[in-house]
Amino acid sequence: MLVLLVLLLTGFSGLAPVLRGSAWWWVIALMAVVTLAALAGLRRIGVPRVLVPFAGLGVLVMLLTLLFGAGTGLLWLIPTPATIGVLTTLAEQGASSISEQTTPAVLTEGITLLLAAGAGVLAWLVHLIAVTLRVPAVAGLAVLIPVLIPGLVLSEGVGTLPLLLVAAAYLWLLRIDVRLGHGREERASMRLRAVASQSHASQSHASGSWVSGPWGGPGSGGGSLLLGGVTLVGALTLSLVVPTVATSGAGGGAGSLFGAGVSPMVDLGQDLRRPEAGPALHYVTTAENRPYLTLLTLDTFEGTTWTSDDDVIDQTNTVDAIDRPAGLGDDVETVEFSSSIVIDGVRSPLLPLPMPATRVNGLTGNWYWNSETLTVKGQNASTQGQTYTVSGFEVVPTADQLRTSSREYPADAVANLELPEERPAIIDETARTVTADSASVYDSAVALQDYLNGADFRYDTEAPVEEGYDGGGLEVVGTFLEAKSGYCVHFSSAMAVMARALGIPARISIGYLPGTRNFSQGIETFEVDSHDLHAWPELYFVGVGWVPFEPTPGRGSVPDYAQVGVTPAPSRTPGATDAAQTPRPEGVVPTDAGTDPGQAAAGDEVLTAIVFWPGTMLLVVSMLLLVPGLLRGWRRRGRLRRIRSGAGANIDGVNVGRGTGQGQRGGAAEAWAELTDTALDLGVRVSRTDTPREVAARLEARLDASADRDALNRDALNRVLGDLERLRFAQPGAAPLRGAGALADDVDRVVRALFAASDRAVRLRAALAPVSLLGAHSGAHSGARASERFADARGQGSTNA
Amino acid sequence: MTTARLGLAADEPSIVQTVSLPAVAEAGRNIIRNVETVIDGKHDAVLIALTVLLAGGHLLIEDVPGVGKTMLAKALARSVDCTVGRIQFTPDLLPSDVTGVSVFNQAQNRFEFKPGPVFANIVIGDEINRASPKTQSALLECMEERQITVDGATYPLDLPFTVVATQNPIEMEGTYALPEAQRDRFMARISMGYPDAGSELAMLDSRDDTSPLSRIEPVVSGAELRAMMAAARGVFASGAVKEYAVNLVRATRDDRELRLGASPRATLQLIRAAKAQAALHGREYVLPDDIDSLAVAVLGHRLVPTSRALGHHHQDSTPLIEEIVRRIVAATPVPVGAQGRP
Repeated sequence: MLVLLVLLLTGFSGLAPVLRGSAWWWVIALMAVVTLAALAGLRRIGVPRVLVPFAGLGVLVMLLTLLFGAGTGLLWLIPTPATIGVLTTLAEQGASSISEQTTPAVLTEGITLLLAAGAGVLAWLVHLIAVTLRVPAVAGLAVLIPVLIPGLVLSEGVGTLPLLLVAAAYLWLLRIDVRLGHGREERASMRLRAVASQSHASQSHASGSWVSGPWGGPGSGGGSLLLGGVTLVGALTLSLVVPTVATSGAGGGAGSLFGAGVSPMVDLGQDLRRPEAGPALHYVTTAENRPYLTLLTLDTFEGTTWTSDDDVIDQTNTVDAIDRPAGLGDDVETVEFSSSIVIDGVRSPLLPLPMPATRVNGLTGNWYWNSETLTVKGQNASTQGQTYTVSGFEVVPTADQLRTSSREYPADAVANLELPEERPAIIDETARTVTADSASVYDSAVALQDYLNGADFRYDTEAPVEEGYDGGGLEVVGTFLEAKSGYCVHFSSAMAVMARALGIPARISIGYLPGTRNFSQGIETFEVDSHDLHAWPELYFVGVGWVPFEPTPGRGSVPDYAQVGVTPAPSRTPGATDAAQTPRPEGVVPTDAGTDPGQAAAGDEVLTAIVFWPGTMLLVVSMLLLVPGLLRGWRRRGRLRRIRSGAGANIDGVNVGRGTGQGQRGGAAEAWAELTDTALDLGVRVSRTDTPREVAARLEARLDASADRDALNRDALNRVLGDLERLRFAQPGAAPLRGAGALADDVDRVVRALFAASDRAVRLRAALAPVSLLGAHSGAHSGARASERFADARGQGSTNA
Repeated sequence: MTTARLGLAADEPSIVQTVSLPAVAEAGRNIIRNVETVIDGKHDAVLIALTVLLAGGHLLIEDVPGVGKTMLAKALARSVDCTVGRIQFTPDLLPSDVTGVSVFNQAQNRFEFKPGPVFANIVIGDEINRASPKTQSALLECMEERQITVDGATYPLDLPFTVVATQNPIEMEGTYALPEAQRDRFMARISMGYPDAGSELAMLDSRDDTSPLSRIEPVVSGAELRAMMAAARGVFASGAVKEYAVNLVRATRDDRELRLGASPRATLQLIRAAKAQAALHGREYVLPDDIDSLAVAVLGHRLVPTSRALGHHHQDSTPLIEEIVRRIVAATPVPVGAQGRP
């Protein structure tokens, strides 16, 4: 069992490269420990072997409910429909954040849930394979799952150290398997003979079966070792080969920021609602007014959802020359800028770009711009790990230019006027009411923006979900205009829909807010995280083209041209996070030379990662190595305490063997169990075909091998033996036993003497890997249990010498 | 002399004195010491012989001539102050030579029973395999039934009644090997084996002139022996130990290398012998170790190996049997018992 745990934990440590920090490891360890302990406990309390896996699964579910169910479970343990909802949501969030983040990923609650569930299931699986089905060799395959994950995600695959650790733990498991296998054969032959002795007629059958045995005879141990070896070699080879296959497949859409077939707007909402923001990207720019970063532009509205018809990729639209936006007049002022963008944690085929861009350099993979929206999308390529430079220009129209633009829209803009006739009346009413005083298209747009951005509306990412109007459809917009509570998706789609209702071409763009400024030593970098995801409407103005607006209160910044008051508002609005916040260590700007504290911090982080992580692992592993010894010592002390406490002393002997379990009969049995366990630990052969006296004789031989040959030790041993024999074989209640304290002292003395008489290597093995812990019913305390356990321990030890 | 030591009054067969187990152990040690003045280096054989005596069983000593079979039997008999009968078996010995015969008393005008040598507490049957089967079975009947029927009259035998028979291994000339059914009547079979060099050398020095047997004096009386036997019978055998004995015996019945396993009588006698052994150690309960140490002696002569297993041993099966029994003993788990089930 312990070996399984070590195997699992080392296996999971293979995940280290793909996750940040080490908190996740403890979660996994907790899950694995609790699951395995529960399964072992179930076996111990006598649950039939066949039922243990099912019961174990139940325990696993209850554990997950307890940890992640947010108290929705009955008694915090029994999952209710609400729990399933909570867990499903969490799991979905986890899955999406896994697909969004690059490695190493930040641990979100969703990821934690998935990890914990995975660890529990894996522990359960390993237990099922190794213990219930009794093929420990195959259990190694299950453990390879976490080991192979880094190989699938990272190009460099899993580190050598975790792999070696897993291999070592696995070989240990196999060794025990072989040992137990022998024990099993022995027991099997016993059992067969016992069965055979029921009738003489079965004699020939029994003697025939005895030769081969149901576990394949003496060869099976070697067989599983061989199988294990083959598996191991195969796994190592696989983990070396897999990475080259894996990375290329990652950008194929499955891991996109906005999953195929799901409304991007709803996805966006989920990202915003995630409690912990994951880093998305950082950049430096020469732009005066930092532009939004556009991922995707949705220009088709079908009443229920906004979509984009960017599926057609024109392979001539390479990103080294992006067209000038349609409809942008030459008289509109433009300011050229360039930005260097480093992707931190987004994996998507959609490229975040400040618009309008003219050229993108430094991308790897195939990227093409959309002819209509100019957004850039990768073909079999992903943003993961990209660093690129964008050249573009800011469009700075004056309010007059916008105000004077006509309503004679070109054909491609007219397509953006489509709006289903069947729509909530409130949309048109509100649009008309708000724009009643507006003279121009521009005035109407600003009025709509100001209405939504005004005091009546509240920014809330939760309310729409709770009240069931998430998304950007017509019904949703209608509800939103009544409820006056929502987030960017609602504000932008409300503005776009109302604009279309008023006959202004409108569309929605999705992307990132400019992010948080990091200003130090003259270098200004901007951090963008997943909470900076945003949606905004763009309205078409003849002569200017598509002009973004900002109707969402508390988010982003209202463009200068769209502000009613002439005073330019500070570009930072309350929604954006303060620049002076803790610098993020990973915020390295590639253009910077090295004076940047961000980089220093990053250096620290790297240093910490190099020193701390293996250090932690080493510490954990060495602590794990100490665990068996500690458990053994704990058991020994417990036994001595029980013996001493008088549980083993019943001077008048009346209670000997009255079947109460505890008490008198436990004493000598506990004492003997401790001695035989110590014998096993020290490599003294103890077999269940031995009489206690034979075992004692071997122990005495070991004692005699010591330097001092203290006769008192031998006497103590013989007294313990005598007590046991008396307990087991004498007439119940016939003779008084000795005092409990004396018995405990004797045991203590003999154990010490045995250790002293053994070689250093043997002592070390006994301290680190006490074989006696492997007893199937180990740790049972009552008399009957102790004897049972004793028999088992002896059975297992029979092949030990 | 000896009766005074244990404080027992007269040698009265009908009264069974009580004696404590430590006293049994002490007396046992005295007997063994006594016997060992004439038999050197055969402690195990002597111990088993005494065990059988104490358990009220019969002993078969089997070995080549000249290793001290008869010496052991005689020494044991002489160590106890009780009646000793001795029969030298020959091919022409008749059953009545063993059991006794009714002769006509002319003075009283009726038949009178003249008890044979079997009417004794310890009967030494020398070279039992030299007698005809008819005579052998006459003795064996007495052994089992502890009474003799001659001419319609039944004469009970005194207790204790122990036959110590010696025989040469079957390959020796002019012998009738005891059939399996009759071997089963003996509680145990022991072999003397050749003494080691040191013992043999010591023997040369001590016994070159006089018969050492003449120096042997009884150390316990018949009454004391009866008391010791009663004490041995009172030794406790736990369920675990009984289970162990049963398992051992059953294992002989299922062993691949054995054609004939041990009988239920073997189980019974194994436990009895184990009790006596425990008593000789002054222990009031039987240990599995008692069973272990007696298994070869008590079970060995009852087992018949398959001819295949016999293989190259076909002349003498004893070493093979011994090996098989030891293997079975080593492979049979020792029950830990219910720890004091009443």
